[in-house]
Amino acid sequence: MKIAKYDYSMIRKWLPVLFLFAYVITVAIAPAFAPYDPLEINMSDRLSEPSEKHLLGTDHLGRDLFSRILAGGRVTVGTGFLVLTIILIVGVPLGMLSGFIGGRFDRYFMRIIDAFLAFPDFIIAIVLSGILGPGMVNLVLAIVVAKWGSYVRLVRSTVLAEKEKDYVLMAVISGLPAYKIIRKHLLPHVMGNVLVLATLDLGKIILMIASLSYIGLGAQPPTPEWGAMLNECKPYFYSSPHLMVIPGIFIMCTVLISNLAGDMLRDRLDIEK
Amino acid sequence: MAYIVKRMMEFLLFFLLLSFVSFVFIKLAPGDPVKQMLRVDEVAVTKEQIESLREELKLNEPLYVQYWYWLKRFFQFDLGHSYMTKKPVFDELLSRFPATVMLTCTSLMVMVFISAPLGTLSALYKNKWIDHASRLFALVGSSIPSFWLGLILMDLFAVKLNLLPSMGKGTWKHLILPSLTLGIAMSAAYVRLLRSSLLESFHKDYVKAARSRGISEKRIFFFHVFRHSLIPVITIFGMSLGSLISGTVVIEVLFSYPGIGKLIVDAIVRRDYPVIQGYVLFISLLIVMINIFIDICYRYLNPEIRLKGVERR
Amino acid sequence: MTLLSVRKLNIAFHNKPILKNVDFNIRQGEWFTLIGESGSGKSITASAIGGLLPGEMIITSGSICFEDKDITMLSNKEFRKLRGKEISFVFQDYQSSFTPFIKIGKQMDEMIQAHCQLTKEERREKALEALEEVQLPAERVYDSYPFQLSGGQLQRASIAMAMMLKPKLLIADEPTTALDSITTIHVLEIMANMKKKMNCSILFITHDIRQAKKYSNTIGVMKQGEIVEIGTKETIMYHPSHPYTKLLLNAAPTIRRLDQNIVLQ
Repeated sequence: MKIAKYDYSMIRKWLPVLFLFAYVITVAIAPAFAPYDPLEINMSDRLSEPSEKHLLGTDHLGRDLFSRILAGGRVTVGTGFLVLTIILIVGVPLGMLSGFIGGRFDRYFMRIIDAFLAFPDFIIAIVLSGILGPGMVNLVLAIVVAKWGSYVRLVRSTVLAEKEKDYVLMAVISGLPAYKIIRKHLLPHVMGNVLVLATLDLGKIILMIASLSYIGLGAQPPTPEWGAMLNECKPYFYSSPHLMVIPGIFIMCTVLISNLAGDMLRDRLDIEK
Repeated sequence: MAYIVKRMMEFLLFFLLLSFVSFVFIKLAPGDPVKQMLRVDEVAVTKEQIESLREELKLNEPLYVQYWYWLKRFFQFDLGHSYMTKKPVFDELLSRFPATVMLTCTSLMVMVFISAPLGTLSALYKNKWIDHASRLFALVGSSIPSFWLGLILMDLFAVKLNLLPSMGKGTWKHLILPSLTLGIAMSAAYVRLLRSSLLESFHKDYVKAARSRGISEKRIFFFHVFRHSLIPVITIFGMSLGSLISGTVVIEVLFSYPGIGKLIVDAIVRRDYPVIQGYVLFISLLIVMINIFIDICYRYLNPEIRLKGVERR
Repeated sequence: MTLLSVRKLNIAFHNKPILKNVDFNIRQGEWFTLIGESGSGKSITASAIGGLLPGEMIITSGSICFEDKDITMLSNKEFRKLRGKEISFVFQDYQSSFTPFIKIGKQMDEMIQAHCQLTKEERREKALEALEEVQLPAERVYDSYPFQLSGGQLQRASIAMAMMLKPKLLIADEPTTALDSITTIHVLEIMANMKKKMNCSILFITHDIRQAKKYSNTIGVMKQGEIVEIGTKETIMYHPSHPYTKLLLNAAPTIRRLDQNIVLQ
């Protein structure tokens, strides 16, 4: 008797992504467990050291740092995740279309993308948020515009590379409709590559959000965002170093997790950089 | 030569497009520039003042006429005046630029001094402790926010040890912390890149061939391997010169270093549109020039491209 | 007189044996051919003689004696002195015989510099002489990058370079496999001429029985890391004893008439 065995290799392969996803979900839920309101000001208890009452101490306005870190995680990581999702929704179909249709459309479209890619993404983001004005919504838009080009390019080149292969030709010859070819043959390859890039990019996007917020172009006070928090507390670093150390460590660890997951995924899927 | 001319033409077309787009964007941006301009003086603004300024700035003309005027002035290096300082934008950019170039160069030096030896050693001693150390360095280095690294260095060397100045510009001492911060942050990626590039070259058949001729290992490394490994490094280096420039933005703000990065952030916060626009055009000019320069480096390192006219893309 | 003798050579790759008791001699001035299918260990044998085995492959037992010295015992530095000067190589992949972004002349110059004390002019003279020897336009080739030459030219240039310092043993690892048939004949003729002129020995590796038949004095047949039969050309060609040798001979396309034509030319 044969027992159908579930293919665990699939799960093992995608484990880093699942792990990262779990992290994002955790960060998103975490603010519900915050002991204090992250915006609640308490001037009688400002700049206190970490203690039993305030796990990570308080900031210059007496706000509980632990609660702010949790709330800030939702803002920072959540925004990064949102940006990534928008980029995928926009970039993947456009890239597939461009690769699949080819011809003149593809040529002109790629020229535009190339022009975008000639500029460092950070500069595009700075300039765009400059033109649109500081703020979180504009920041999302700016980073999407700065980052989408590389996804379109990646998807397109994957499609082009696979399209040339004989098995796709065989599928065309045997009369498989176009949407089925895309879904069954092209999409799996595209998704592998895109997910690796996306996991590696999540860290970079989070760094970008934090950096832009730090220089005052992203989240505005009193929004608890990790980069903005660092900016807000800058004058108090000397007397209360925990205000500097803690948000930074959280940013670093989050980016580290994303980078590790991306590296692992790339090794497992055996994709060249 | 024909190649460079072609690139220049391409660039000119692109530049016109970009200038138009940035022009339109600025026009669409929220806020009335006239009010912005007058508001700075913080005196009561009359209707007549607004109208006369509108007339002066040709804001009542149709968009394409405005663009034409703007373009004409642009080619006379007139990018308008900053709302904030009332000085010509072009002069502002030029006066701030050397400071940024200085910072970029010193950061680059730090980057090369860290990544070249570390990358080479981790390729030569693959999977030994130095390789693992460099892997850790690259992982942490690429995860650490550059401004946070700067804050920590500042806290350590300027505040706690009181060895170096933390803010501003002036002596060479002012450059140490900013360029150290940026250089460390940038070198994280290069260490691994140089390593994998070198490792790939080690396994090339022509290395075996050179060995079969009795060439010494040292010479093979420097003459046959290292140069070829520089090609991908130069490419990425070219791409990241851009990100180096963008990296200076955060660092300049962090250390209150008066370069063009600090200028643009101040301008954005204060909605100083002529400065923003000037910066966009200035930076795009710079990046395109860097790209052309990289192409030339590339051609020098790889004679096949130079002599056969094979293009990079 | 025996120039090279390989004694019971065993080589392993990650504890898996890939050469088993390989044993043969090459006399001075002899053209010795190793023949066998791909993956039979011919190239590994050649690499071992030159000390060019990849790091993962280890000589587990046996010896390789060159002029009565066991060269498996040499230090890296001593081996380096030997390679290029006494034992030189010609490889199958002519494109990677030269480092692609360095001019041919520069690479020849580098090789002379590694082995001889000569002035710049003398080195140039020597290199040009070697290039003329293989009937190449010496000056032009000297100043060319590898990709500017055709396959046949490149392979001839690499023979020129290999023979430049008058080595006692030339190891030619399938030097003609990547070439077309006309160029092949040309390259082989040049090798035969050079051998006659300099009285060196050649270890020739091939899978083409016709080439083995035309030039060799002695032939060794390899199969799965072992030498199954060894003997003079006549013995192997006309009185093979091992079944694998017979198989190999039968598998070769025997276009008698064409074969004779080539010989007549």
